[in-house]
Amino acid sequence: MRFDVIIIGGGLSGLTAGIALAEAGKDVALVSAGQSTLHFGSGSLDLLGCDDKGNDIYKPIDAIATLGEKHPYNKLEDVSGLAGVAKQLLERAGIATTGDANVNHWRITPIGGLMPTWLSMEGMAIVQDPDQMPWKRVALVNIANYLDFPTKFLAAGLRERGVQVDVKAVTVPQLAQLRKSPTEMRSTNIAKVIESNDIINDIADKINSITGEGYDMVLLPAVLGVASSENSKKLLSLIKMPASYVATLPPSVTGVRLQTQLRKRFNSLGGSFFPGDQVIEGVFENNVLKGVKTAKLDGTTLEADNFILATGSFMSRGLKADYDHIYEPALGVDVDDMGLDRKTWAKIDVNEAQPYMEMGVKTDEKLRCLRNGTAINNLYAVGSILSGHNSIKLLDAAGVDMLTALQVANNIIK
Amino acid sequence: MATETQTQNVSVNNFEQCLKCSICTVYCPVSAVTPEYPGPKQAGPDAERYRMKNKAFFDDALKMCLNCKRCEVACPNDVHIGDIIQAARIKYNTHRPKLRDMMLANTDFVGTMASPFAAIANPILKLKPMKAVLHGVMAIDKHRTFPDYSSRKFESWFKKNAAALQDKFNKHVSYFHGCYVNYNYPQLGVDFVNVMNAVGYGVHLLEKEKCCGVALIANGMPKQAKRQGEVNMTSMRKAIAQGHQVLTTSSTCTFTMRDEYDHLLGIDNHDVRDSISLATRFLYQLIEKGEIKLAFREDFKKRVAYHSACHMERMGWVPYSTRLLRMIPGIDFVMLESQCCGISGTYGFKKENYERSQAIGKGLFDQIKEVNPDCVATDCETCKWQIEMSTGTPVMNPISIIAEALDVEKTRELNKQ
Ligand code: SF4
Ligand code: SF4
Repeated sequence: MRFDVIIIGGGLSGLTAGIALAEAGKDVALVSAGQSTLHFGSGSLDLLGCDDKGNDIYKPIDAIATLGEKHPYNKLEDVSGLAGVAKQLLERAGIATTGDANVNHWRITPIGGLMPTWLSMEGMAIVQDPDQMPWKRVALVNIANYLDFPTKFLAAGLRERGVQVDVKAVTVPQLAQLRKSPTEMRSTNIAKVIESNDIINDIADKINSITGEGYDMVLLPAVLGVASSENSKKLLSLIKMPASYVATLPPSVTGVRLQTQLRKRFNSLGGSFFPGDQVIEGVFENNVLKGVKTAKLDGTTLEADNFILATGSFMSRGLKADYDHIYEPALGVDVDDMGLDRKTWAKIDVNEAQPYMEMGVKTDEKLRCLRNGTAINNLYAVGSILSGHNSIKLLDAAGVDMLTALQVANNIIK
Repeated sequence: MATETQTQNVSVNNFEQCLKCSICTVYCPVSAVTPEYPGPKQAGPDAERYRMKNKAFFDDALKMCLNCKRCEVACPNDVHIGDIIQAARIKYNTHRPKLRDMMLANTDFVGTMASPFAAIANPILKLKPMKAVLHGVMAIDKHRTFPDYSSRKFESWFKKNAAALQDKFNKHVSYFHGCYVNYNYPQLGVDFVNVMNAVGYGVHLLEKEKCCGVALIANGMPKQAKRQGEVNMTSMRKAIAQGHQVLTTSSTCTFTMRDEYDHLLGIDNHDVRDSISLATRFLYQLIEKGEIKLAFREDFKKRVAYHSACHMERMGWVPYSTRLLRMIPGIDFVMLESQCCGISGTYGFKKENYERSQAIGKGLFDQIKEVNPDCVATDCETCKWQIEMSTGTPVMNPISIIAEALDVEKTRELNKQ
């Protein structure tokens, strides 16, 4: 089966590359082994949130210029230009965001912290300056018995910053039903129940009746709008006071929406999405990748002019570790161990920055993968499989995903 | 030693690989509409730990699982969640199946009974009083229209009209037609024979064909399913020994015989599995190798929306059917968002499941209405009933679309050796 480009990995980086290439008229196939880490998303996308000492960054574009030379951002031709392109790509997929690459804003975490970020999906609660909270009195309204929205932590976090918080809960009979299977009262199921029963008005009425007057913000768990933002916007518009959403613990409705809308956009551009399959082997000839074989399409080789490896890091099984080495399982390309000795891969204190997080596949200046020390002419890597940064520490995951994907799309189109 | 421990430490159905991410829950069509259902993660890997300790932890709610495997497609860690759930039902369920379930499950027996009386059975099954009886006594939902039984079985048509012509071809395949083609929709089998003959392949039936057993598994009759499966395997071995591939036109039969036989029923199919293929995949692969060519009619025009049936998606074979369809010049092809239609074989026929079944499929039906195609294409027969009943849009198997679009004369010419 032949395509112009084959992308391995269906998360944020793979879909971004797929959309950019399909928009440029390429025939693209995307092979995805299970759903992506977008399902743990926060409703915001980070570009660069912290420096290596853990201090918040206010101006990401300026700070990117000072990053170490191994950071993947060094392989981008125009970071701020690509950041703009990324925001527009999201918009064309129906995902409106606020924020820009020159100045970070702050999002509220499900456990009440503030984190610097680049783009936030519409409707999410954001704070422009962490030292100046924009609200005096907040109503924190949960769905009764929904456990993935830890209101105690949230309220404590906000109170620490001088905000007066009243915690409340609402319910309607259709939602109370969900508790019949306690494990199933999850954000996405709540969203599906609300949307399929058309009870947004009832919920808005309940919220309005218990909050009354005198709040300058009503904060709600982000449990609406799996397929599009239409319903999440509708609920906010029905609440009499200013209202916005805070991310919940996973699964994340906003993350699922992001994934769904990007995939729909990719499909509508004629892209072919192969879910639930896995690339298990590459067919190399000299320094060219001729094709890949998958677990399910046995007897068929997927061929293309160019390939993009976007399988993610350890969590997404893009990288694997055994007792003595770290490897890339799909195509066996070279992994950069950052010169770390086996004993120094991990730190015992889990809260410390873990050195293994900086490992990833080796690429040349054009983001092409290396195999046995030589660059493969038509195989690129994008996203969190790249070596040279710790996305948990630097808060740069979405930026690396989207910007390296767009850069590689440009490299291929040229 | 350490490496061995690490690499060989894999449990049945990968259940220890679950990292509790809950992604499967997001994609379970039942969990979303049925608060009583514990959901894939809980019903699968989580509860399996308890069940292994004590079978008293088996929960009857597991029968609500459609066995659609959408959870498995979504799982980032390759946990065979659906298999864990079905295996638990087989192992721990002590209830005897109801008469209704036995009837629905025995698709070939009921088909044999109904076919000769099709002219009587079809209108009767559609009559309001009959539906009321089915609904009340048998608990088969009154909203359901039974798929028509054909007055002539595919097998009879084949023997009378096609069998004698097949030996003149140089290349041959065997055809597992399945109950649906045999009793309800022989035209699909006829289309299949026409397409295969046009590209130079003779078609043969298996020495003995039994229902693949998918409905028996779903309705709690694994022993009977296993017996039938063994018969199929024996017949297929004979066909394979003659150099035949065994082709089907149903994604669910294919999936059941390739994967569920081994995973759920303990039937040893390792020597047969690779020779069982879907007709669209077989054709696509031959075209790709340059071994056959298709020529299409110039006047063929159709707007076709493709629906990825659950088991087709689980097999990962959707690209074969869609790439094949897109070879037809006159096709205006739309890919539907992959979603369960809600019928899941006999599941949606049961009174207690009807509403749930329709709620599950609603998203798909809305999409189809919006796309407004001339027909929906899908590789599964039960999706066909469900979609036709719920949207009024005709549904065709890709093979029937190929047969309709094919310029038979030209194709024959192209494939003459
Ligand atoms: S998706 Fe897979 S890993 Fe995640 S909870 Fe479900 S079974 Fe476990
Ligand atoms: S097989 Fe389908 S119905 Fe059963 S748990 Fe998985 S997703 Fe849900």
